[in-house]
Amino acid sequence: MLKYTVKRLLYSVLILFFVMFIIYVLMYNMPSGYVETKARELASRPGATKSYAEWLADLNAQYGMDKGVVQGYFVWLGNAVRGNWGDSWAWTIPVTQEFHNTVWYSFALGFVSFIFEILIAIPLGITAARKQYSFTDYFTTVVAMVCISMPTFFVATVLKYVFSVKLGWFDLSGMQGRDYLTLSQFGKFLDVAKHFVLPLITLTIISIGGLMRYTRTNMLEVLSADYIRTARAKGVPEKKVINRHAFRNTFIPLVTMLGGTLPGLFSGALITETLFSIRGIGYASYTSMTQADIPFIMFYLAFISILTLLGNLISDLLYAAVDPRVRLS
Amino acid sequence: MSRYNLNEVLKARKAAKQGVEHNAGGEVALDDLSRVKVLSPGRQVFKRFIRNRLAVFGSVMLILMFVFSFIGPLFYPYGQKQIFYKYEPRDVNYGMVKENTAYTGYDVANGAEVERAVNNKMNSIIKAMVAEGSEKTAWLGEASLYEIEKLTDDVYLASAADYEEVATYGSAVTEIGTYSMVGKKIEYAVKNPVDGLEQAVKDAIAKDAKGGEFELDGVTYTYERGKAKSYAITAATDGLQFTGDAPGEGFEAALLAGIESGASFDFEGESYLPVTNVGVTRVYRAASPVPARVYSRLTFSTYEVGASVPDSFRAAALLATATGGAFEAEGQTWSIERNGGDWVVTDAAGEEYMELTPYAVRRYNGDDTMEYGLKKALTEKALEMHDSGVKTGTLTYALPMQTETGEYVVDEAGNISYQDTELKLSQRDTGEFVVNCQQIIYVINMFDAPSGEHWLGTDGDGFDVLSRIMYGGRVSLMVGFVVVFLETFLGVIMGGLSGYYGGWVDMLIMRLVDIFYCLPSMPIMIILGALMDALRMDTYIRLLIMMAALGIMGWAGVARLVRGQILTLREQEFMVATEATGIRVKDRIFHHLVPNIMPQLIVQATMGMGGVILTESTLSFLGLGVKHPLATWGTIINSVSSASAMQHYAFIWIPVGLLICVTVIAFNFVGDGLRDAYDPKAKR
Repeated sequence: MLKYTVKRLLYSVLILFFVMFIIYVLMYNMPSGYVETKARELASRPGATKSYAEWLADLNAQYGMDKGVVQGYFVWLGNAVRGNWGDSWAWTIPVTQEFHNTVWYSFALGFVSFIFEILIAIPLGITAARKQYSFTDYFTTVVAMVCISMPTFFVATVLKYVFSVKLGWFDLSGMQGRDYLTLSQFGKFLDVAKHFVLPLITLTIISIGGLMRYTRTNMLEVLSADYIRTARAKGVPEKKVINRHAFRNTFIPLVTMLGGTLPGLFSGALITETLFSIRGIGYASYTSMTQADIPFIMFYLAFISILTLLGNLISDLLYAAVDPRVRLS
Repeated sequence: MSRYNLNEVLKARKAAKQGVEHNAGGEVALDDLSRVKVLSPGRQVFKRFIRNRLAVFGSVMLILMFVFSFIGPLFYPYGQKQIFYKYEPRDVNYGMVKENTAYTGYDVANGAEVERAVNNKMNSIIKAMVAEGSEKTAWLGEASLYEIEKLTDDVYLASAADYEEVATYGSAVTEIGTYSMVGKKIEYAVKNPVDGLEQAVKDAIAKDAKGGEFELDGVTYTYERGKAKSYAITAATDGLQFTGDAPGEGFEAALLAGIESGASFDFEGESYLPVTNVGVTRVYRAASPVPARVYSRLTFSTYEVGASVPDSFRAAALLATATGGAFEAEGQTWSIERNGGDWVVTDAAGEEYMELTPYAVRRYNGDDTMEYGLKKALTEKALEMHDSGVKTGTLTYALPMQTETGEYVVDEAGNISYQDTELKLSQRDTGEFVVNCQQIIYVINMFDAPSGEHWLGTDGDGFDVLSRIMYGGRVSLMVGFVVVFLETFLGVIMGGLSGYYGGWVDMLIMRLVDIFYCLPSMPIMIILGALMDALRMDTYIRLLIMMAALGIMGWAGVARLVRGQILTLREQEFMVATEATGIRVKDRIFHHLVPNIMPQLIVQATMGMGGVILTESTLSFLGLGVKHPLATWGTIINSVSSASAMQHYAFIWIPVGLLICVTVIAFNFVGDGLRDAYDPKAKR
């Protein structure tokens, strides 16, 4: 087990190395005119702390953009490994600081919607599987499919239209009300929470479909297994069959899959956060991307890649941990 | 079992079809061969597929969508970039009344020229004169000295005169000349040299060859060694110093008064201009002034609409305001008379021809096409409002009548018909009066609500929304197809090689797959979009690049699927047979292995289409994918995503959003249905 873990870990590092190399090559090949224009724009902003030449010099020092691709990559890698990620162009503060400022909002958003997703999708999936081919089953399947098929921006726009424009319950975007600064500590929390409602609903809607289908499929498979038939044959109450025998076995693939998505909670919701102007890491990175903020983009892409690899790793390890039949070699 | 041999059954069927009596006259037995129904694998899949209601629904939706997007535009009368216009009565800015404050110059006939730098400054010079209430001033140009004289209110005449410097006043350093050691002479820069200066310089140089000071007749001279054995001599003076002959007694007093006022002054019939610069005043004398240009803030409105008045006529009329009475211009005799603040010009027959007034009444775009009566009425109303201090007022006047399409109504005789129209005047903070009225104008038909003409209305650019949706569907579906094809193509090749060869090839390709799996595709697409934005790339090239990038980013999944399938298939007997018969490796992979994984590929591709359409529409919605004016579903929604547009123009974005959902759902249903049909026992 330990050997397998170490092996997988080393393997992930190797993949990460190449993924980052591809991303570095992409950044490296950005037309220099584009980068220079952006640096100039940045230096001419009010309150600019560095001149145009300083930004470019910083970039070269940090990213080795003035060297060859391979050599430059190692310059960047050396800096990155030492935790030296440079200053963000779009936010004009160190990248890591911007990361600390934003990631917790994203995590809160992701975590709560994750909880909702589990609470809604798993029971529905199980119900659908129990009554296969019934109206409930069809209904659930169709709902799941609709949720999967809806573009995030359309869900967000409809929610905004209904709840912000027509009903006026929530603000259109942003995460603080206009009287935020006059509120007490608890009031501030409630205010932010209120602004998180629509993004939460959006995220939950677009994510429940997949989990619902996954639960249903796995539950169906378990329900057709021999031991369920045996349990029923020996007269175990149906409730017990479902909740004890069947669900516990469905639990294995579910835990594996959900475990794999845990790191993703930190990655932020790029589109949703942007549409609702939630200052999470997704919004920050979107702004950075549209402004050629190379330091922050590199950081964000590295972060996302690490989270993806970590998710795969966790998923594989959990599979072994949860299911005693699986022995990893 | 042999009784139900498939071949026999088929043979029997064929025979029955050809009319050969198989079971002549007799009852059909329970185990008769003709009872056995055999379906080909394809028909079996088809049968299972159409039994799935959701899949059928999806297929129908997809067919409708294709007909709508690809065939619809052929029959739909409007194009995707066709802009619609309409005639609409609107409250427009019809005209403007303002007191003209800028002085415009007109060349006097046979006059001198005013150099450009001075002409450009003239407006501010005259305004300064008006502010000080001075009657006459002068301005020094490069070539001439310009005397500006007030003729009457609002009319100023500039004359060009020769000039010479007569004196300096104040502590000045005057350049006397250069003394050359070679010629032992002074080359004078001034007109009237002082006697004995040459000798004094010689003496001073003998004392100190480097340079220094000496005094002569109470004036301090400085000499400084320059190049080529010469000395530059300058004199420092204080008080009045004449360059030429002194004009006479009392000049100094007149000059002082002139310097005080800063304007030109007359002395003994001649005009002098003091120009003060850093404490030193140089005095110029003007000689023989010639009238050059007449400046006025009066505007000319002729009684006949749009009659052109040449500049020489204008200048003559303005000059006549001073002398009064008659003047000659354009080969006719005219007379001018004062009428309140205005001047009226009448021709020889006594008919009024035009009016000179300080109030400019123009159409809002600056055209001078209003008729005289309207101008007069507007001016009076504006003056009345100005006097009473109200900011807004109305006036009813007959304006040319318009038809529904904005043209003027003409009666049988060819005259324009008039119609009383309410004109609203309002004064702006900057003083001018703006005239508003209802006019029928030709405008872009923006955000028109759904109507019989435009079923889904028009968008912010005056495009028909339904046609945009049709063409947008084309692009979206096409993007889906191309990207999925590219993904599948790359995936099959890579997966096929990997699965068939195994070993290090497999290792290498699978590591590549892992890397591509890990690449965050959405952020990369966004970066690419922002980059293409910055490079101002053509929208069609963007489309191609976007499709290529999506395809390259998405092949890893297909490759994994293909490899997995091939790993199981290649151990089967038919593959052993291909090896035994010595079929080429290429054919083994692509003729024998790949067709066997076709079902999975088709399912994967169908589901993939939905995903690609979603990604494309999201990118276009963010403004980073396909760009205006090319329509895609994402851009249509993007064009109305602001809060106010979203609220008012729901008829644009709701249908498009639903269309995206329906298309993606349809692809997913069909994909699901196909998978179930191909392999009913497969795990969903």
